[in-house]
Amino acid sequence: MLILQLTINGILVGGLYTCIALGFSIMWGVMNLINLAHGTFIMFGAYIAFLLFTIGGVDPFLAIPAAAAVMFAVGYLLQRGVINLVIRASVFLTLILTFGFDMLLVNVLLVLFSADTRSVTPAYSGVGIHYGGVVVPYVRIGVFVVAITLTYLLHVFLTRTKLGNAIRATSFDREAAEMVGVDVARIFPMTFGIGAAMAGAAGALVAITYSISPVLGGAFTMKAFVVVVLGGLGSVPGAVLGGLTLGIVEHLSTLVVPPRYQEGIGFIVLLIVLLLRPSGFLGKPFYAEVKA
Amino acid sequence: MTRLPIPEVVVAVAGVGLLLAPFMLGNYWIRVLTTMFMFAALASATNIMAGYTGYPAFGNVVFFGLGAYATGLAMTKLRAPFWLGVVLAAVVCCLYAVVIGFPVLRLRGHYFAIATLGMNEATRALVENVAFTGGGMGLSLPVQRGEVDALNRHFYFVMLGLVAAAVGATYCVTRTRLGYGCLAIRFDEDAAGSCGVPTTRFKVLAWTLSAVLTGMAGAAYANWVGYIEPRAVFDMNIAVKMFVMMLLGGAATVFGPLLGACLVELVGLMAWSQILNYHSAALGVIVIAVVIFVPGGLMSLRRGLSIRLLLDNVRASRL
Repeated sequence: MLILQLTINGILVGGLYTCIALGFSIMWGVMNLINLAHGTFIMFGAYIAFLLFTIGGVDPFLAIPAAAAVMFAVGYLLQRGVINLVIRASVFLTLILTFGFDMLLVNVLLVLFSADTRSVTPAYSGVGIHYGGVVVPYVRIGVFVVAITLTYLLHVFLTRTKLGNAIRATSFDREAAEMVGVDVARIFPMTFGIGAAMAGAAGALVAITYSISPVLGGAFTMKAFVVVVLGGLGSVPGAVLGGLTLGIVEHLSTLVVPPRYQEGIGFIVLLIVLLLRPSGFLGKPFYAEVKA
Repeated sequence: MTRLPIPEVVVAVAGVGLLLAPFMLGNYWIRVLTTMFMFAALASATNIMAGYTGYPAFGNVVFFGLGAYATGLAMTKLRAPFWLGVVLAAVVCCLYAVVIGFPVLRLRGHYFAIATLGMNEATRALVENVAFTGGGMGLSLPVQRGEVDALNRHFYFVMLGLVAAAVGATYCVTRTRLGYGCLAIRFDEDAAGSCGVPTTRFKVLAWTLSAVLTGMAGAAYANWVGYIEPRAVFDMNIAVKMFVMMLLGGAATVFGPLLGACLVELVGLMAWSQILNYHSAALGVIVIAVVIFVPGGLMSLRRGLSIRLLLDNVRASRL
């Protein structure tokens, strides 16, 4: 029964992990950019949900569009104004640039909200399904369903729309995409904006699931990284597989090692996968890797 | 061809000045300089791996923490003297870099960067959770005996010695096959390999060198402050500072990281005492500005500085 409970918990959290990783994955896949501020983008989304809930009494699930819209604007402008200036520079210049953003943004959150831990607790947060010893809170199910829906919507957007196809084309081969008329200078800010919007939406879900604090962003960046590497870069189905795997492995590992090692388990899985199958479960050699 | 030996003279004067400084300055300035030297040594060590070899070892601070803990444990549990603690720290970091290096150094670019980051997080989690390191409570090192002034001078010279060692190591690297090999790896690893550069061995060597220097700095730091905890010594902010200093001064130059360390510390001293709440925002802004305007570091501005040059730098890497 314990195993069943842990597996269910793992799957539910895995859905959230997928959603957390998607934005990170498309930024990396399309622009060859690791956004170390991704976790802090998520925290911004979480605080938007928190603000709407405490000030306006808005249900955190309804805060998702607002969080996504604000973060889209932030992401679009950041890419357009700053990241675009160094996009052709070496890997660690862009890496350190996004770390610079991270320091700046965490500081902004600390000044605005202080380092206190906050939580969003709607009226239904305590209740759930009890069935033969297994307990599943409704909130967790809601978060899972919304996360998977968002993932599916992004997948549809990337595969069925013109803009989505242009984004995917850019990720496969930038020069070839330019040759068939894709305006890469427009695609990059769009991609970064969409990635940030996904982070914002995931943030609202994080605010429902966990207690939040400005300094927690780094942990989510690392989760996103593990999920992307597990599943394969820039692939939506890969992110689903990676997210579910990480969620389940993290939870089942508590059967063998104490829960305080849960964080470390993710990294160990990450290192093993990096060494055995660097392109992930579903990954193909990518533009970013060929050029890296 | 005759040439005025200006760089040599500058180095000699600076060297003598630094040797005499602790006997003339107050304790506050000795502390400031000691911190500056520590970061100069760290930035130099990072430079060997990230600057010359071009491998963004973002999580190199893992060796700082490891060195600090190796010394701390040796001195508290085995009652080892300070110098033995430093040697042990070097040995532990060397072994760690070699063992982890062979698998991890097969990765490149982002993958390598994040793998080292993960390494740091995983090592920190381990140190935090096992009992004999004191866990999250931290570890107090034996109190150093002696007069305050003498102790301050002692750590001043230890850190200065580390800077000298780091610069010496960097200088040696630039003059040997290892250095040329590393540069070749940075420009094109596959091409270097097919020209006969033993890429794996050189990468591991460079990383080990970088790790040993970083670990010794960690060991000296642990003794200097007397108390260490996992969150303070495996701190990613230290890693970022090492990178920023190296980039600001000039990656893949011998003296660039030292220059960067002095500048960042001085700016910190002047500005951050005024705006404590925005401390990391200020560092963040400096990071962003450096990356955008002087990606080659200050050493690339030796021929003069102009707005035009800064704009050209921007133009070179924008889309």
